[in-house]
Amino acid sequence: MKKTNDELMEVSRWLGDAPGAPSRDGVLSALDALYRGFPAPEHTRAAQAKLRRALSGERARGVRYDSITGTPLGRVFFAATTAGLVSVAFGQSERAFRDHLRAALGVEAARASGQLRRIGQQLREYLAGRRTRFDLPLDLRALPDFQRRVLLAALEVPRGQVTTYGEIAHRIGRPSAARAVGQALGHNPMPIVIPCHRVVASDGSLRGYSGGGGPRTKAWLLALEGASDK
Amino acid sequence: MTHPDFESLVGAHSAEIFAYLWRMVRDEADAQDCLQEAFLRAYRAYDRLDGRAQHRAWLYRIATNVALTHLKRRGREAARRVPLVPNLPDAQLSAGEAAIRRETLAAVAAAVERLPEQQRAALILRKYQALSYAEIADTLGCSAEAARANVYQAIKKLRNELGEE
Repeated sequence: MKKTNDELMEVSRWLGDAPGAPSRDGVLSALDALYRGFPAPEHTRAAQAKLRRALSGERARGVRYDSITGTPLGRVFFAATTAGLVSVAFGQSERAFRDHLRAALGVEAARASGQLRRIGQQLREYLAGRRTRFDLPLDLRALPDFQRRVLLAALEVPRGQVTTYGEIAHRIGRPSAARAVGQALGHNPMPIVIPCHRVVASDGSLRGYSGGGGPRTKAWLLALEGASDK
Repeated sequence: MTHPDFESLVGAHSAEIFAYLWRMVRDEADAQDCLQEAFLRAYRAYDRLDGRAQHRAWLYRIATNVALTHLKRRGREAARRVPLVPNLPDAQLSAGEAAIRRETLAAVAAAVERLPEQQRAALILRKYQALSYAEIADTLGCSAEAARANVYQAIKKLRNELGEE
């Protein structure tokens, strides 16, 4: 019995569960010899490089875009990966939208043939005032951490209400970053769906708008949603 | 409420996860393949993870699944390969002693390969990846007590097998 307890204590020390240095018995020291080493740094770097190549290939896989026409905002383009929506834009040409996707995602997007119908349908209904919220998966993986958090916070602002850049900054735990919040929203990759139009300056002025048409579009969207004019 | 972009997860955790996979599969090229597979799986699932903070345990969980699947496939495919044993230059050992040492290491490595999956993973996570029992529990989807029990059972089993009772 005593022997068993000693052995247990020995293992606990070896695992770092109990204080003290372990004496090194056969199995434990053999385990250390087998497993304590690390892969060589150049092998780790090679593995990471291979991984990054695979990930950029994965990112480029299956980006499709499409558009709807005849909306109050004109032709609206949208793009999605297999995981979800990545981009919405209006007031620009097809060529400009493709250029934008190439710059933002590093991919040559293909025109969709029907796969993105659900996105187009929801956008059309929304802009016609027949839909109050979007039910679409979003793919925010390519975005920097800060912008992603800002956009997720903007997504929480309910229809018909507005909030301020400072309030968003506060919500993401960066109260002094109101200006950076403004910039992150200014580069909202999917206006309308992520409602950056519901975020205004602290004096109530609309400030800028990331979508085509500038503040005029922002005012139109707020009116569409019945936001009280403050 | 942090939610890093995926690239910063790769930057923060890929070296650590690679070391883990390297220990689990004990083959350089296999560990590279597993690393790629694990992070691709993570990337595809990433958007469904909104708001979660446990990225490290989550990556370990995926890596564990990838490694165990890989080991099963490898075990089935090939006549079991000779376990990888490091060459340990040790001036204090005679040639004969060195040979005995290599045999011991090979026997221990083979015994580790025969451990139940959860025990093998738990042992490596605790001792060589320095995870807490709570983190191992997150990784293996069990309680912290079960994680701890797995580690101790692994060592007990190895000692029994190798006649060190």
